[in-house]
Order: sequence, then structure tokens, then C-alpha cells
Amino acid sequence: MSSKIIEELYYSKNDEWIKVENDIGTIGITDYAQDQLGDIVYVEEIKKGTNLNKGDVISTVESVKAVSDVYSPISGEIIEVNQDIIDDPSIINKDPFGKGWFAKIKMDKPEELDELMSASEYSEYRKE
Amino acid sequence: MRYIPSTKEQQSEMLKDIGVSSFEELLKNIPEKVKLKRKLNIPPVLSEQELEEKIVKIAQKNSNFYQMKPLLGAGAYRHFIPEAQKSLLQREEFWTCYTPYQPELSQGTLQSMFEFQSYISRLTKMDIVIPSIFDGASAAGEAALMSLRLTHKNKIIVSSLIHPHYRETIRTYLAPHDIEIIELPYHDGLVQYDQLEKLLDEDTAAVLVQSPNFFGGIENLTAMAELTHQKKALLIDIIVESMSMGILKSPGDLDVDIIAGSAQSFGMDLNFGGPYNAFLGTKKKYVRQIPGRIAGETKDKEGKRAFVMTFRAREQDIRREKATSNMCTNHNLNVIAADIYLSLMGTEGIYQYSLLNAKKAHYLENQLLKTGKFEKIFNYPYFNEFLIKYNGDIKNINKVLMENNFIPPLTVSSFYPDNDLKQTLLFAVTEIFSRDEMNLITSLFSQ
Amino acid sequence: MKLIFEKSIPGRDAYSLPTDLFQDIKIEDYLPEKHLDKDKKQLTEVSEVDVIRHFTKLSKFNYGVDDGLYPLGSCTMKYNPRINEKMAAISNFSQAHPFAPIEMVQGSLEIMYELNKLLCEITAMNQYTMAPASGAHGELTGNLIMRQYFIDHGEKRTKMLIPDSAHGTNPASAVMAGFEVIEIKSNENGTVDLNSLKNAMDEQTVGLMLTNPNTVGLYDKGIEDIEKIVHQKGGLLYYDGANLNASLGIIRPGDAGFDVVHLNLHKTFSTPHGGGGPGAGVIGVKDRLIPYLPTPIVDFDSTENKYFLKDIGKKSIGMVRSFWGNFSVLVKTYTWILSLGPEYLYQCSKTSIINANYVLAKLKKYYKPAYDQYCGHECTLTGREYKKYGIKTLQIAKRLMDYGYHPPTIYFPHFEPYAEETIMIEPPESEGKEVLDNFIEVMIKISQEAKDNPDLLKSAPHNTPISQTDDVMAVKRPILTYDDELELKDELNYQGKDIDYY
Repeated sequence: MSSKIIEELYYSKNDEWIKVENDIGTIGITDYAQDQLGDIVYVEEIKKGTNLNKGDVISTVESVKAVSDVYSPISGEIIEVNQDIIDDPSIINKDPFGKGWFAKIKMDKPEELDELMSASEYSEYRKE
Repeated sequence: MRYIPSTKEQQSEMLKDIGVSSFEELLKNIPEKVKLKRKLNIPPVLSEQELEEKIVKIAQKNSNFYQMKPLLGAGAYRHFIPEAQKSLLQREEFWTCYTPYQPELSQGTLQSMFEFQSYISRLTKMDIVIPSIFDGASAAGEAALMSLRLTHKNKIIVSSLIHPHYRETIRTYLAPHDIEIIELPYHDGLVQYDQLEKLLDEDTAAVLVQSPNFFGGIENLTAMAELTHQKKALLIDIIVESMSMGILKSPGDLDVDIIAGSAQSFGMDLNFGGPYNAFLGTKKKYVRQIPGRIAGETKDKEGKRAFVMTFRAREQDIRREKATSNMCTNHNLNVIAADIYLSLMGTEGIYQYSLLNAKKAHYLENQLLKTGKFEKIFNYPYFNEFLIKYNGDIKNINKVLMENNFIPPLTVSSFYPDNDLKQTLLFAVTEIFSRDEMNLITSLFSQ
Repeated sequence: MKLIFEKSIPGRDAYSLPTDLFQDIKIEDYLPEKHLDKDKKQLTEVSEVDVIRHFTKLSKFNYGVDDGLYPLGSCTMKYNPRINEKMAAISNFSQAHPFAPIEMVQGSLEIMYELNKLLCEITAMNQYTMAPASGAHGELTGNLIMRQYFIDHGEKRTKMLIPDSAHGTNPASAVMAGFEVIEIKSNENGTVDLNSLKNAMDEQTVGLMLTNPNTVGLYDKGIEDIEKIVHQKGGLLYYDGANLNASLGIIRPGDAGFDVVHLNLHKTFSTPHGGGGPGAGVIGVKDRLIPYLPTPIVDFDSTENKYFLKDIGKKSIGMVRSFWGNFSVLVKTYTWILSLGPEYLYQCSKTSIINANYVLAKLKKYYKPAYDQYCGHECTLTGREYKKYGIKTLQIAKRLMDYGYHPPTIYFPHFEPYAEETIMIEPPESEGKEVLDNFIEVMIKISQEAKDNPDLLKSAPHNTPISQTDDVMAVKRPILTYDDELELKDELNYQGKDIDYY
């Protein structure tokens, strides 16, 4: 596949990624996901302080021809939100793994990471 | 057959090219058991002449409505429609085309939607306008559902002076969603504002009111908005007689959150109840929760101004079960009808027509009261419909009215059986009535 | 093209007022100041001539069935006979007030009553409601009827099964009726996977919504098994009759066991689409569901010898709209059915099936079909193999405009892995062989262009008033009214000649 994949991240089947630093996980959507959506025009407000279970919806992203829910790949509390992507959603298209992150989560159950995919597994999963 | 160009010979040729020896071979996936093995039992083909004669004969079983003027409104109003509008609507490009999914081939429909949205926005002072829901009642249902999406609450207060069919439709739309629906009682032709204050609470998603209401009364929307917003609920105003917008204050200026309005008065025939059209209006910030289709302006690849259907990601063909509504085909041709009608009316025309409606209704009421056969039961401000008590034989007067080519006013007691509205008649008076005709009507009632 | 607002010149008018303006009545004496707007609502000031020219020009930017082939799959864009329009416009019909005393509207009621009988025979159902205004409105109505049926029978059923190939309206309607949607996968033949259906169908399930021929254009071979699976668990079968053009006189949904049917009268029954309505999405049901129909229906009182509006009763789902139905659409439908009779109704379906299979046979070499088998009245091809030339199906569609055709339906149905980059072609009975031959020739030509000169497709269309709209900008910088445009006027800077002068 042609989309970019970053080695040290964990990946979900719904095309979210999570980067882990201590007990904080930063969440975003993958290059593959942004490419499938096309130009993202809208990101629904993400609420700081929300407690999430794994699989809960943290936001919804909208392109001209699609809408997609973004699910949390992990349980925990949202402690920081990237306001920049809400103001200018095209950042997600330009830099999905960097400036296009969605939220930081204080993880309750780090063991859930084991259920996620590694970069190579995700690459295999999204192989066309 | 004149609608089927292919000849028998051409069809056999085509079957040969397909590679089958008979048409039946193409149907081999249909189980024998469910195939229809006889001809449909419907009347045999008619020539165009025979057909026309047959249907004209059926039409003649109706009254000759062209000659008859309705004193009847109650959600369907006869206004004059200029011939220029009727003539333009004959253009096949408007009525034989499809939903404007391909903007390159549908700028006509799209621009007309945009113009209509602009007109309604100026008439109602709402930021955004969805140009087409089927009719007023279904639009009211959609507006109620929209308020649930916006507030995530579960109680709806509905004015008892909303058109009874609209109220029933709202109930039908809300039935599956486990919503508490409370009716707001009325007094003296308007909703009871003190009752509203009592009924409103933190669980209330929306208050639905109609203004002018079913009895024609003009509600005090500002006061209702204030009460409603105190409980973080939304005020939804239903406009059934849109002609009123020509002179009345706009709901957008009165702090209404959502409007659902029938556009039938803007150039649509009565047609025994449909097709009409309705619009929804709301605030810009709610754009992602609107149902149905909306046209927007953008540019094409050369930078020219162009119109498209926009905010499509909410719609059923993209979002499927998560769509804001199932709206697909709407009443776009009626949008064009209303756009042309409003263009012909223009700033001054819509004002003058609206004013005339109100003046004539009040003139007729004055005249009727003078006969001594009527009693005023409400002391309320109204637009072009008024409810009045008649101390005579309704059955008899209806007959007399019909003989004189008037469709009788509505007897409302069947819709409000619990209230003391026996012997009341709901008159609708539009610009089509002349002074002479109203004087004649008055004299018929005097006899 | 210029908006009507940009043509406004102060002092012009296009309205005509009655001579008596009732100057003796002062409205301020009757209506309190707080209700009256101090300012007139600013619409526009143009003459009647301006209006006629404006809208005549606008119309020329549209493409209708009368302009040429409109092969939109799943939409049935057939010829709209003129006699239908004339009959619907008879003033006795068009000026009838919905609340007029019933003795004044016997003709209107007769049309509704007789049309019900015809539709029941054509589809083998027992009773129709004429209320729904569109297909989706019919689906909502149908779903609510099924909901009410189970409530009345004391059963709690919450799930609705819908194939992945279904129209988007199906799941959206089911959700509006309060159901949870369970998607049923299509199999390698493009039809319902019976095992998935069997596994999903249980006693908490309302039933199945199905299109037949389905949205890929194929008759479902397993229809008898489907019927058994759903009915054995007490469920109901819903027929999405958007696709009835392959069925007239051939197969009747009622005979195949369907309990609820909706018909898009603006498709199969030739009433026009109107640029997205008004149509009608009437709902037919079997006897056991009649008590739940929206109220009222038309009935005939044989003792009084007159038609009347009959209240359905307490079990009804209630009303779904302001009045009884899109009446003028019903007149057109009635006219159309009588103009054909049983013989030619059958010919309509036969011809459209031959047409679709002919196009399929001639084009399958160039555009690989989603499923290579005989189809109903529409066929599903794909633009898959042109991906490698950098060509998207959308561009094939846009290129067709250069040759004077409305494009087929594209990207629908879509379900992986069988139906991607789909091109769905429906050539209804009103298209003759030479029209199809021309279209086929053009499609083949475009397939060659895709290889030889892909830029030609990528820059298409070339001779339409506008080309390739910026849909992203339309959402990011919303201009939804003329006043929105006025606010942004300085930054808009539209290029090119105004298409007014194109």
C-alpha cells in the first residue's frame, strides 16, 4: 500500500493510531484513513474531561462525501484536545501522524494496548 | 405503442445480440412459482382521445372549482397565481429532469433552490433555509426530530393551536422515539403563556407553536422564546400561511430557533392537498443537524460562480443509518414554482398582497358581525383567518354558499370536540375576494 | 448566471394588484404594532419580462428526459407523457380544496379509489395508502406500519434487516422508525446471502427490506427461501418498489410473499421527477396490515352511492402529512396505467429488460460488470479497469456529458468487494434501439479515450455552462443565501465570463 505508516505506534482496525508516552496516549487517524475520506472539512468538537471506554466515539470527521466516527482505541480520560484541527481540519490531511492528532488520553487500562496492531500488522491489514 | 419506440423486429435483433433465443430466457432467475402466468386484470388500453374523455368525465364529478372561491383555508389557501409562473413551469427542463446530483447539468434547479433559500431567509430572517420538505406537517415532524438531535432531551410541548393534521403528523414522527408530548392549552384564540411557563422544564427539548395559529391568531413569539430559552429548550415556529410573512414580524427577529413553513401560498394550486412544499429555517450553527437538501454557492474549475447541493455528508445516501433524515426526493419543482412566484411578487407585491389579505379578512368579519347573526368569541389579533360563532343553521348556509359558488368555511368543532367551539366557523379570506363578493356573502348569511 | 437579486432595478414590478385596495381599512387599527414589521421584506424588483427571461435561461442550464437519454440506474428516468400533465391540470382537480365537503370532490375521490384497485392488481397487495410523498416517505410510513403491527400484537421487535446493497434511504428510514439496522451481506452473486439472513432473523427482528430486482439489477433467485426464513420467525417482508420497472405483468411482490410495498410513482409510473420531486411513494399492504395504515383512506359507500374519506381507526399510525396525498401525481399515474392497459404495461417491463441486457451485452467487454449474468431493467458495470490509467468512474461520467448524455448512476450500489467503481445503467422502455446504439458507441469511445488520452476525461465536461465544482469550498465557506454572498463579496473574486452570456 502507498500510505505512510509510522513504526512505533499502535493501530486499531478502525484506522486510529495511538502514540504512548508513560500513561498518556495521543490519538489520531492514519494516513490511510485520511486518504479514504478525502478533504476533511469538519471535525466535531472533542470534549476535554470526558471519560471514555475503549471503542467510544471521541469525534466525528466529515469530508465532502463521507462522515466517519473516530473511536477511542483505549479507555481513559481526555486530558488535552487539539483545537487546531477543529479550526482547520485540513491539517489532518496534511499531517495525520503529526500536527493532525486529535486528543491526549490518560490511559486507565494500558493492557488494552496489547489488543491493538503493530505497524507491520496494520500494514498487512490495509494491504490492497 | 407511442411511448415505446422499439419495434418487434428491433427487439428480436437485440435478443439475438444478447445471445438468447427468447425473452423468457432473461427471466430464468425468477422462480416459476412466483411468476405471473396471466395478464394483469386491469382495463384494456385506451386511445388518447378515449382516455381524455374518460378522465374529464371523472373530473366533472367534482364541483366546478374554477368558478368557486373558498372561504376555506385551514392549511390550504387559494391565492392568485400569475400566468407567467404557470407558463415558465411548463418548461420541460424544469420538470423532466432529475435531482441535481450533476451540477454541470442542473444549474437551473440549483440556482433556483439558492434563490428560494435567499427569499425565505429574507422573509423570515432565518440564517439558513432548507428549501424543500414535502409539506408543512412533515416539515414540522422533521423540525421536532431536529430539536431532539440538538438537545438530546425527551419532552416536547406542542401548542393545541397547531393545525390538527400537523399535530397528528408530529405525533407520528415522534412515536418511535419515546418522547413525552404535552399539549399547551389555549385561551382566547392564543396559547396560554402562563401554562407554558409551568410546563417547561429542563427536560424540554422544544416548544412547537404555530403563528398565525390554526384560528389565524398571531402568537406572541418573543415572550415564548424568552420562556423557552430559560430552560435551554428550542422554540419551533410553524408557519402554515406564509403569505403572512409579507407584513408580520419575522420569526428570526423574534428569537425563534427553527421554523417549519408551508410554501403552498407561494404559487401552488390547492390540488386536493398536494403536492405542496415546505421549508425549514434555522441558525447557522445548526447546519450539521438539518434534514434534507440545501443548495450552496461555490466556484467551478475556472473560478466561475456555480451552485451545488452541499453539506451532503448528513444525507442518507452517504450516511445511511446515521443520516439526519431519510429525505431523498423532495418537492424541488415546487421550490422553482415558489421562486418564480416570489420573483414576480417582489418586495412591493408580497407586501401589498399580504396587507390585502389581512385587510379583507377584517373587512369580512366586520360585515358579518353587523348582520347580528354572528358572535365574536375571541378577542385576538389575526392575519387572514378568523374564528367566529354563527347563530344559524350551518348545514343550510353551507348549501346556500355552494349554490352561490363559495366553498363554505370550516366547521372546527370536529377538531376541537372538548371545547365550547360548537357553531363556530373558521373563515379564510385571501386577496381573491372582491368587496362585492364579500358583501354578497354577508347578505347570504343575513337571510 | 446572475441571480434574480442582481437583476433588480428599483421601481420595477411584475405583480398586478386588484383595483380596490381597501383603503378604508387601516390594519394598524386591528393588529398591534409589535406584530407588524416596520420595514418591507426585501425580495427583488424586476419586471415580468425580466422574470420570464431569467427563468427561461435558467431552464436551459438543466438537462431533462426530453433532452435525451437519462440512463440513471435505480431512478427510472422514462418519458413523461403529456396527456398525464393535461389531465392533472384540469381545474376541477387542481383547484379542489382538501377540506371541501365530500360531495364537491367525488371525482378526486374516485381517482384515488380506482387507482388503489389498479395498483393492488399490479402488485398483488390488498390496500394502498396514497399519503406518502416520496419513496423515502413511503419507507418511513411502511416501517411505522410494521412497528405498529408488532406493538398491537404485543411483540417487541427492534431490529430491521437490510442488505448492504440497499438504497441509503432504507437504513435511514428504519432508524427514523426506531429500529436498529442489521446489515445483511450480499453473496458472490450479488443477492442476499441466505445463511447470513438465517443467522440474523430472529424473534426480535421486524423483518427484511428488500429491492427485487435488487439494486445491482438482479432478480433474487432465492426469493422463496427468503420469504420462508423471514415469515417462519414471524417477521414481515418489505418491498422497496423503487425498482418496479422489471416487474409489470411479470412478477408481483404480493405473490412473492411481500407484506408491505412502496411504489415510486415518479419512476415506474411515468410521473415526472421534477428535478427532485414532487413524486409519490404510495404504500401497499396485505390485509392484516390495513388497520395500521395512515388515516384516512378512500372508500365507497354503496348505499349512499358516494366516495368518502374513511378513518382507519385507533390502530392507525396516524397521519404522515398535511393532507391526503400528492393528488396531481396520482392523476398522472392513473392516466398512464389506463393509457397502456395490461398488454403494454407488460411491454414496458419486457422492453426495459431487453434494453438493459442489450447494453450489458454490448458493453461488458469494456466495462467489467459487477456480476456477469442477465439483469432486470438495469445493469451494473464498473470502471475498475481504468483506474490504472488514473481514471476514476466519476470522470467517465463527466465525459459522457460532452457527448450530450446525462451520466448513469455512479458509485452506487457500493459494497466490497463485488461492487466498486460502479456504473449503473437503466435504459427504460422509452429509449429506442438506435438511441442505445449511439450511447454504446460513445461508451466504447470513452473507454478508448481513457487509455489514449486520459486528460480528456480528467478535464471533462468541456461544453457545459460550468465544469467541476469545488465541493470542498462549498462546505468550508458556506454561502447558503444571497446575503451570505454579499457579506463575502470582496473575497469571492469569481473568474471567467458570467455564464449568463455563455
